[in-house]
Amino acid sequence: MISLIGLALGFLIVIQLRSQAAVARTLAAQDDTSVALLINDLNRANNQLIQQTAALSQQEAQLRQALTAGGADSQAIEKELTMLREISGEAPVRGPGLQIGIQGSIMDFELQDALNSLRNAGAEAFSLNGYRIIGSTPIISRGQNLLIGGRSLSAPFTLLVIGDPEQLQPAADLSASTLQTRVQVNIQRKTDISITDVIASRPLIYAQLGR
Amino acid sequence: MTVLASVSLATFLVTGLAATQFRSQPLPPSNRLAREQALRQSVNQLEDQNRALKARVQTLQASVKSGEDESARRSSAAQQVKTQLDDEKTVAGLTALHGPGVTVLLHDGSDPNDPADRSLGWTVHYQDLQDIVNLLWASGAEAIAVNGQRIVPTTAFHYAGVNILVNNGSRLSAPYTVTAIGDPSSLATGLGNPDQLAELKSRSRIYGLGLSWVRSTRVSLPAYDATFLVKYAQPLS
Repeated sequence: MISLIGLALGFLIVIQLRSQAAVARTLAAQDDTSVALLINDLNRANNQLIQQTAALSQQEAQLRQALTAGGADSQAIEKELTMLREISGEAPVRGPGLQIGIQGSIMDFELQDALNSLRNAGAEAFSLNGYRIIGSTPIISRGQNLLIGGRSLSAPFTLLVIGDPEQLQPAADLSASTLQTRVQVNIQRKTDISITDVIASRPLIYAQLGR
Repeated sequence: MTVLASVSLATFLVTGLAATQFRSQPLPPSNRLAREQALRQSVNQLEDQNRALKARVQTLQASVKSGEDESARRSSAAQQVKTQLDDEKTVAGLTALHGPGVTVLLHDGSDPNDPADRSLGWTVHYQDLQDIVNLLWASGAEAIAVNGQRIVPTTAFHYAGVNILVNNGSRLSAPYTVTAIGDPSSLATGLGNPDQLAELKSRSRIYGLGLSWVRSTRVSLPAYDATFLVKYAQPLS
């Protein structure tokens, strides 16, 4: 069902962009299709934010409980630390997701588009040919190869993605459909993927705390 | 429940959209107008709710932080973890930062009104923002924001028709400003490299699409305006 929606949305967006004669981004001047897609996105985002408030309330309650009892709950802090290390690619992770095999060379922007749509579908961790990719990992084409964070990788590629396979699949299908005219792509759902590579955080040299 | 509601809404919308796109008989004008108004009203309501939820998230983040600070004062074990946590928050984009860097400005060009050119090359697409952000990371950026929205590990750009959204439903409007902290000359050299952003630079010449950047001794980046949820990835020990 969800993949059907994804496919339908993708299809409509393509039609939309092709048929759009004048692009205006103020709400009043927008076509109905754009407004309807925006409603869909805002609903999704607001649901995410509701889940975030629930998680934060729970964390706060856990901290307060220990404080009220006269102590301190370092485990509640540890939990947040672990979560942030996972998000930033500093901790090895495992979970359900997709294994995507790409049997030929692809361009930097093709990989970026794929990662972007997988992130939109809730992807939580990536690796390409065993190397961890996070949001700030630069992706640059160098001939037939891809420079990923300075490391040169060549086809065939295996992209591992951790997240909800149900949500990730339509995003992966859409990316595959644009690649498949040139290279063979196969997508497998997995119940347990391990991403062991980690990224060391870079020290900040130019940035300073505060606005 | 809310997720279910959202999915069924999406189904409804997609069915509705498909109908809008393909139905040959137009709705009577009065219905059309009412529907258009209802849709736009929904966007306004959802964007109000979006702002309220973000404010709620930030309030909760502040009380969690005060709970953590208090815990750290009471216990050395908690103090130790909290020091690491503070560093990790900075890495993840949960802290406002300032420093030297560059500001990239982008705006739509003019529609050539050429029936032979349907490329929409004169408008800024989400991929253009994605390419600029990627190039800035490659050129040594330490932190980046787009129109005041911090780029964090989970950030994705999304297009909903003519709209570009980022992070949790934040709608970006032209002109676009991409701000990066880092060595201004490395960042500017990266942007100026003729091999990079080649397609965007040629569209800038053809359609008058605005693409420029300035170095700065001080740019300021806000913290990410929400938090992170990890639902599927487990730590691997």
